[in-house]
Amino acid sequence: MAQPIVHITNLNLKYHQKTVLQDLSWTIDRHENWLLRGISGSGKTSMAKAIAGLIKFQGDIEINFDAKSNLAPVVHYVANWYQFKDLEGQSNFYYQQRYNKQATETTATVRAELENYGKKHQLQFSEAEKLLTALGFSDLINATLIQLSSGEHKKLQLVCALWLKPQLLIIDQPYNGLDKLSRRHLNVLFEEITATGTQLILISNDKELPPCVHRFAALSGGQLIEISANEHMQEFDEEEESKPIPDFLKEAPVSSADSVVKMIGVNISYGEKQVLKNINWEVKAGEKWLLQGPNGSGKSTLLSLITGDHPQAYANNLYLFGHKRGSGESIWDIKKRIGLISPELHWYFDPLATVKQSIISGFFDSSGLFREADYTKKTQAAELIDYFGLTEYQDTLLNQLPLGKQRLAFLARTLIKNPELLILDEPCQGLDQQQTQYFNKLVDELCKNGTTLIYVGHFETQLPACIENRILLENGEVKSVGKILEPILK
Amino acid sequence: MSNYFNTLPLREKLNQLGVCDFMDSSEFLDDVNALKGEKLVIVGCGAQGLNQGLNLRDSGLNVSYTLRKEAIEGKRDSWKNATENNFTVGTYEELIPEADVVINLTPDKQHTAVVTAIMPLMKKGATLLYSHGFNIVEEGMQIRKDITVIMVAPKCPGSEVRAEYVRGFGVPTLIAVHPENDPEGKGLVQAKAYCVGTGGHRAGVLKSSFVAEVKSDLMGEQTILCGLLQTGSILSFDKMVEKGVDAGYASKLVQYGVEVITEALKQGGITAMMDRLSNVAKIKAFEISEELKTIMRPLFQKHQDDIMSGEFSRTMMEDWAAGDKNLLAWRAATGETAFEKTPAGNVKIGEQEYFDNALLMVAFIRAGVELAFETMVEAGIKPESAYYESLHETPLIANTIARKKLFEMNRVISDTAEYGCYLFDHACKPLLADFMKQVDTDLIGKNFNEGKDGSVDNRALIAVNEVIRSHQVETIGAELRKAMTAMKSIKTA
Repeated sequence: MAQPIVHITNLNLKYHQKTVLQDLSWTIDRHENWLLRGISGSGKTSMAKAIAGLIKFQGDIEINFDAKSNLAPVVHYVANWYQFKDLEGQSNFYYQQRYNKQATETTATVRAELENYGKKHQLQFSEAEKLLTALGFSDLINATLIQLSSGEHKKLQLVCALWLKPQLLIIDQPYNGLDKLSRRHLNVLFEEITATGTQLILISNDKELPPCVHRFAALSGGQLIEISANEHMQEFDEEEESKPIPDFLKEAPVSSADSVVKMIGVNISYGEKQVLKNINWEVKAGEKWLLQGPNGSGKSTLLSLITGDHPQAYANNLYLFGHKRGSGESIWDIKKRIGLISPELHWYFDPLATVKQSIISGFFDSSGLFREADYTKKTQAAELIDYFGLTEYQDTLLNQLPLGKQRLAFLARTLIKNPELLILDEPCQGLDQQQTQYFNKLVDELCKNGTTLIYVGHFETQLPACIENRILLENGEVKSVGKILEPILK
Repeated sequence: MSNYFNTLPLREKLNQLGVCDFMDSSEFLDDVNALKGEKLVIVGCGAQGLNQGLNLRDSGLNVSYTLRKEAIEGKRDSWKNATENNFTVGTYEELIPEADVVINLTPDKQHTAVVTAIMPLMKKGATLLYSHGFNIVEEGMQIRKDITVIMVAPKCPGSEVRAEYVRGFGVPTLIAVHPENDPEGKGLVQAKAYCVGTGGHRAGVLKSSFVAEVKSDLMGEQTILCGLLQTGSILSFDKMVEKGVDAGYASKLVQYGVEVITEALKQGGITAMMDRLSNVAKIKAFEISEELKTIMRPLFQKHQDDIMSGEFSRTMMEDWAAGDKNLLAWRAATGETAFEKTPAGNVKIGEQEYFDNALLMVAFIRAGVELAFETMVEAGIKPESAYYESLHETPLIANTIARKKLFEMNRVISDTAEYGCYLFDHACKPLLADFMKQVDTDLIGKNFNEGKDGSVDNRALIAVNEVIRSHQVETIGAELRKAMTAMKSIKTA
């Protein structure tokens, strides 16, 4: 019998002085493909990095490659977070830089990035092209990296990983940010790559998996426990007690106008490329909207117009909170009415901010805390930190927490000023099922008070119940808009 | 036109050199109101022009751009920058007569031509805004008496001005009102509102004068900021190669070392930079930097004297008139240096190694910063102004060297700074010839601590620390940095 590709014995691992994995053992035999799940902070990412040899650990991890295989004898790890660099090798980008036409030319194009990668690993470019087509990415080959949305960045990472054909491929959150169709296509690609010998470890709490994944494990309490496929289909049983929401969030937010957003024939283009075409859309106060569309359909651009982040807003017929854009308001006047969470905001957030500072910064709409908050604000922050169970982490640097916990802190930041408009762009990325449900219930609770909601989510099983309207974008155009007649849930 | 500063009586010279007030945040409570509804027209749309304009518009102000006819017709980059971001763009004739505030963000060298062209078109009682005072102070440009003349100068590159604004912060900014042109007394209020519009009010604002800004800015850029970084980089590289250190390693150590070393400077001044060295290394670096200060002091003084007397700007303007003969020749020569032509090697250099193996660079930077600061203060410039133009800007310039060496630094800085940089460099290298003869690889290229047991004399160390920490650039710096603590750290490669 061939040696197992991974053989772990007595693995012990700490993350920032806390024990994450304890005396863990795991064997992955040839031809096995695993799914690894666990709640946020259970050690999934640390475990993956240890196997890939990226972090220090105690114990023994034995990797046995198949010498007869023509696949690359490497463990390739795809991170749940992507950092790209500019042409000078620095990653010194700033929030919403991608909407500033003049500042987008400092990063490589997708083509150049792939060509470099291919050269480094001696891969055929035609192979990559197949993958690009399969993931609906071909149109973006000449786009610069900074212009890509978060879902598109994920696809680029996946293309590189699949193209490499490593003997062992570990993907942390493979489906994050991908639209429904791309998720399905990705599963087909997983089937193909495993058929030719690559072994997979997927780190995810998802249910829609490719058939090739046939073994399941959960991390809990520092231990790895094998579970059955059926058990994986069930929810986590670690029920969190539900706490009452802080009083200051129960008050109805002050509404400044009947019409919150009104777009009349909005167009956005970069040179020849038109990314939004003739958008007509109105969001009235108190309405709950779902914004949907495939990756690259223009969702983030549409939202950036509402959050005051897009320079071309000034050339369009756009009304926010009853005022025409460019009639003397500042972007801070707009932002103070909005609670925003988006992958982009998370990317560019101040790396020196603690959890508490990050949450308080929600009062000022800044990507970090740059001024002193008064007593009331600090008290409200403390209530919210307790509500989200973040008290023990409040003085830790935000970016040192596991991704799921970082998202929770961001959610707290979004809600803290009880805004009249909530814009939640994939708020639950990186959260486990339990946290997602918990958060969506909270959104439902808050929205009872008349809060207006615009929600972006690719997973239809993970939406708040209060949603009643939907706008669907495709290729920068409105495909459909209006009341949701049939329930889209389930 | 004659040099404005030289027309002033001594009393008034000192008076204007001494304008220096670090403003309290309560001074900015009126937000952008003083400019609300006014027509702001920016002349020029390069990095500063575009990014300041984006910020001002996002602050609710009415911004448009005026460019020369040729730039519009030729659809040059400045035209593209403005139109692609949906700004109104027009010729001088179209936009200047309507403008309440005209913002001149063209390169120094064009100021006389630009201001001469736009002034007759400006309406009565309008305001003219500069971001550098050279044209007014050194060239002695006379502005019509009904026009208010102010300065707002963000102390960072244009892209930073934008990046910090969208984060909800800002960059340190200097503001001033020209005393000869404040007929309605509205200059300061407008300058403050403009500062809020670009986000500068959150990161520390220094009220200065046109005179203090020019005399300190020229001094800083010629000596420590660009001049000494150029001299120090070239000498350090050449020494390593001479002593057999691998050229690729030497190139990388210098190129990225200046950035890593000055990042410590930015966070915590000379003290923090010196504290990155071991105790033995610190004492050695202190001794060499003292020696360097003694050797270079007369050169720093000469530069300051020539700047004060107007001799520097006179000779530079002669070179402008001669089609930049000297500037272009010096620029070409810099491109031919071995440092410039040797690409950084593909070796990993750890963050601490940039300090341990480059003690000489640390010494150069301490000597340069302290000398520039001391010389400016002796010449009547206030310590706060001197701090901004020496220590504060050094890491920003070092960052450009890390990107693409001296070529990049000299491309990014103004032609005025570049000219002064070469002038300093050419005088400084011969001055240091004897000193450099005694330098070996323990000071540059290899770890100074190697083969030493690390023990030092307590009293010697205490004395060295005391001198470093009690220097005025440190006490004033600690105070000013408090306002800028939230500034992003510069990324290192």
